[in-house]
This record gives sequence, C-alpha cells and structure tokens, in this order.
Amino acid sequence: MTAHSAMHPGDFPAPRRAAAARLGMWVFIGSEVLFFGGLMLAYLYGRTHWPHGFALASRRTDVVLGTLNTALLLTSSAVIALAVHKRQAITPLLWITVALGAAFLVVKGMEYHHEFTEHLFPGDGFALAATTGAELFFMLYFVTTALHALHLLAGMGGVSVLAWRRLRCIEPMALYWHFVDVVWIFLYPLLYLVERHS
Amino acid sequence: MKRIALYWLALLALMFISLGSSYVSLGGWNAAIGVAIAGLKASLVAAVFMRLSRGPALLRLVAATAIAMWLLLVGLSGVDYATRPNDPAPVQPALAR
Repeated sequence: MTAHSAMHPGDFPAPRRAAAARLGMWVFIGSEVLFFGGLMLAYLYGRTHWPHGFALASRRTDVVLGTLNTALLLTSSAVIALAVHKRQAITPLLWITVALGAAFLVVKGMEYHHEFTEHLFPGDGFALAATTGAELFFMLYFVTTALHALHLLAGMGGVSVLAWRRLRCIEPMALYWHFVDVVWIFLYPLLYLVERHS
Repeated sequence: MKRIALYWLALLALMFISLGSSYVSLGGWNAAIGVAIAGLKASLVAAVFMRLSRGPALLRLVAATAIAMWLLLVGLSGVDYATRPNDPAPVQPALAR
C-alpha cells in the first residue's frame, strides 16, 4: 500500500468495523437526544405555565391505545434485542420487529383519526379553545408523535433492508430502534398520563 | 433469551405501574413518578437491550455527554423560561384614524 492510497472500510478487520459502526450510531443517537430534547423543553415550559390546560388536554388523548402502543414498542425492542444477543433466527426476528412497528403506526393512525374527528387538531374550531394551554398541548402532541412516527418509519425501512438482504451487521440499526422506543417511553407519561384521576 | 424476557416483563410491569399511578391524585408527584418510571425504563433499555452496561466505556461516555449537554441546555434556557411571568401581554388598542 502506498502512502497515497486511501483506506477502505474493507482494510480493517470486521470487529473493528463493527465497533466503529456502533460508535457512529451512538454519536448519531446523541444528536437525536438533543433533537427531541428541544421539544421536551418546549413541553416543560408549557406544562409548568399552563398546568390546567395541559391536564385537561391530556385527558382527551386515548390512553388505551397509547398504552397498547407502548407495549407494542417495548415488545419490538425485546424482539430485536433477541436477534442481536442470540444471533439465531435473525431474519424472522427482524421481520417480527418490522411488523410490530407497523402495528404501532396503524394504532397511531386510528388515534389521529379520532382526534381529527373530535376537533383536537390545533386550528380553527379547536374543541378546547376556551382553555388556555390546551391547544399548545395538542400542537406539541402532534409534532412529537408525528416526528416519532417518522423515525419509526425510517427504522422499519432500515430493519427491512437488513432482513431482506440477510445482512448480519444488525447492531447499529437495533441501537437506533431502541432509541426510537426510548423516545416513546418518555412521550407516554408526558402525553397520555397527565392527571388522569380528576 | 431468559434474561431478555425477564427485562421485557419488567418494562411492561413498569408501564402498568406508571399507568396506574396517573389515576391516583398525588399532586406534583404524579408528574415526578411518571418521568421517574420513564427514566428507569429508558435506563433498562439502554443498559440491557443496547448493551451499554457491558459495552466499551467510550459508548457510555457518548451517551452521558448527550444527556449532560441536554441538561445544560435545559438549565440555561430555564434561566429565562422558569423566571418569566405568565401574565398576558398588555393589549395595545389600534389607533383610530
């Protein structure tokens, strides 16, 4: 190899490449933490300034479907973790992960449908316009859940490619999948569980 | 297999505890418990499913840096947001001409 020849990924041994891919994904996840973190800050501001409006609006979200979706994502994370840790039946486990992601999106779509018909989408004719902060809550609800759904869609695409081409370097994609799950883990109490009791 | 199944069940149990706690009137503790349980669930996913507890320290450093950076930004933003009064801005009537 001359001094001028570029290094190619193939020049490095596989374990080193895998370690680099893991690190790269973690750095990307770090940037994503700040991406969703900004929205969390906006939520924190709204909830501390209009607690009543946020509590009232949160009670209008569908807690049954929200809980079902949380369970679906937690399960999908366990399934893809099984594929990474056990290194057996990888392809079927990846397809199950994608299917659980698709089920999540179907449930989310049903929720959106309910919310649109109940005039909970911010704008003209918003159902809770009389309560300050409620519209802000639903603005944040739609922005965060839609961005989360987009991330999930990207994850489903990535996992599908791994399953379809039977690739075996699946850990970075699995890390991303878990991150999308973690975002939902925080969205669940913040959006669905604000003072359900009153 | 057993280990992952165990953590999966623990995550689902935490989810139901979180759900149940929101139906009990605890004042400010409702939000605190919700976020604390979410933090615990996220830690379990990161430590076990994402193998952060067994992986190289470099990965834990990256994760910790991201969280520390976020806390820093939230804290600095709080200097403004947490101290801003919530009074509506005075309405300036339009000038009649």
